[in-house]
Amino acid sequence: MSTQMNIAIIGCGMMGELHAASASEAGFRIAVCASQPAEAAEVLAKKFDAEAVADPMAALRRDDIDAVCIATPTPTHADYVVAAAEAGKHIFCEKPLGRTLEQCDQAISAAEENGVKLYVGHVVRYFHEFEAIRAQIDAGKVGKVGFVKTYRGGISPMGASGWFRDAKQSGGATLDLLIHDLDWLRYTFGDPERVFSQNLAGKTSLPIDYVLATLRFSSGVIAQSIGTWAHPAGFRVKAEVCGSGGMIQYDSHDAPISVMPRETESGPSMIVPASPVNESPYTREWRDFAKWLKGESKPKVTPEDAKWAVRIALGAIDSAESGQPVTF
Amino acid sequence: MTRVGIMSFAHMHAFAYADCLRRLPDAELSAVWDDDADRGNEAAKQFETSFIEDQATFLNSGLDAVIITSENVKHRAMVEAAASAGLSILCEKPIATTIDDAKAMIAACNDAGVGLGTAFPCRYIPSMMDVKKRIDAGELGTIYACACTNNGQFPGGWFADQSLAGGGATMDHTVHIADALRWLLGQEFTKVYCENGNLLREGINTDDVGSLHLEMTGGTMVSHVASWNRAASFPTWGDVTMEIIGEKGVLAVDAFNQKIDVYSDEVVKTEWAYWGDDCNFGLIADFVDAVKNKQPPTVSGLDGLRALEVTTAAYASARSHQSVPIELS
Repeated sequence: MSTQMNIAIIGCGMMGELHAASASEAGFRIAVCASQPAEAAEVLAKKFDAEAVADPMAALRRDDIDAVCIATPTPTHADYVVAAAEAGKHIFCEKPLGRTLEQCDQAISAAEENGVKLYVGHVVRYFHEFEAIRAQIDAGKVGKVGFVKTYRGGISPMGASGWFRDAKQSGGATLDLLIHDLDWLRYTFGDPERVFSQNLAGKTSLPIDYVLATLRFSSGVIAQSIGTWAHPAGFRVKAEVCGSGGMIQYDSHDAPISVMPRETESGPSMIVPASPVNESPYTREWRDFAKWLKGESKPKVTPEDAKWAVRIALGAIDSAESGQPVTF
Repeated sequence: MTRVGIMSFAHMHAFAYADCLRRLPDAELSAVWDDDADRGNEAAKQFETSFIEDQATFLNSGLDAVIITSENVKHRAMVEAAASAGLSILCEKPIATTIDDAKAMIAACNDAGVGLGTAFPCRYIPSMMDVKKRIDAGELGTIYACACTNNGQFPGGWFADQSLAGGGATMDHTVHIADALRWLLGQEFTKVYCENGNLLREGINTDDVGSLHLEMTGGTMVSHVASWNRAASFPTWGDVTMEIIGEKGVLAVDAFNQKIDVYSDEVVKTEWAYWGDDCNFGLIADFVDAVKNKQPPTVSGLDGLRALEVTTAAYASARSHQSVPIELS
């Protein structure tokens, strides 16, 4: 008989809430929610019949907790991973794993030394459309891939106290947003050799970021990735794969549902697209985590993958600063 | 009646330009010259005009202007010959394959007192003209960044032969965007970083895709994809797109996105049939107007040189894997 595993949700903002729902779907029990200040934890805890606490460190050390979900601002990830590992808890950490490579190393070492499993939520690996692109490539539909283009983003997010807009904390759109595509590109096309990037973070009078990046892979493939936190509204994802024998294109604007409410917060003309699936990619990653915890399989994302993703993103940020490429 | 000759049908645009001349009431395609006599004869027949085999005879046959649509490396010699004969010239892009050639061509036309234009039809696409109006009117405010593409299907033939084209997709499909951005923003390019390669097709000796990052004098940051990456089965030849991030808003232009989707069971592949206005016609009409009014062409030889400076630096960057400054001659 398998027992249900208990999760502590650390950080109860948008991602904490999404993970609580996804973890529940995947069969976990939300035992405690923790946030500083406690209001967000209280609101979330009510939804899942969990306890709410104001002390994340106390929450993750509780005896009844099997695993910890870390969904706090990026610079705090490593500290919580280390604390959870030292408390003997398995860890589901939101991306990026850390704000610096040193933090990534601390997190990975702590998990290894304490014999706990560290999973990082690079969820785009589980998105249906991105799996479909990989399947078509694997089936030989485009021949040998030579060039890839990704595009992701929309409105500039705020987060608690606007932390997303403070590049020192969030790493800007490069570390917070583009990292999804940087990770998926590495997952699909191998390790990159070089990255060159430009970005707008802190360069205008507006709280916007816009990232233009090119990766050269050891395989020779060139990828151009664009990340935007510079749009006034909306969110869009596009991908294009070009090979010797054909092309693939994806655009999230192609969605089965489009709703136009008469009144919204943003005004009457906002169109809300929806692309519903039976099993969300977030539930999928929690199921992957669950199977790993039960010893049934290895996860799609390893801690080394998560560190690589941070490495590429930080390389892009450095490139934007120096005006020259960064070599890996 | 403005009498225009076409020199060489090596470039497929020669056929479009010939057609434009025939549609213009105050211009005519008076003669064709081609270093490939068979090809020239065929074209002359198709457009119901004369083929003149000897270049000097052609240049002195009473023409007002010539359009040069040869392989890229041959532009210089033809421009110099036409300038010596006192003819106004519209030269296909890229204006030349080396900066020295481009400078010599500009000088030759200056010395001969004849107009030299570069064929950049993007300036004549109504959607692009609309973008310029909006930018000029301040609708977007300061332009912070621009992400561009000029993708295309593989053109084949001499385009992918370094000795005739002088470069591959990076050259072929960066110059349009470089010129368009100079025209839209009124800025020059200051530096470029380029990754490119022959990644999509075997048996050619040029690059077929390039990813570029540039900066402009006003501080605008630019990315660009110059490619021949459109599949043969793709519904259309390619695109010109820009996403422009401004202080007051974001503008996305897909310049040729005026099409209907056509599904013909005989053709089997989907086709995007363009119904928008013909930018080549706009370009040729404007050139003929300039010749008629004895004005210099709107898009100049210098504009051609500036675009070439960008691609020359891009190729240097692709070789060195470093960002390269763009020197303006």
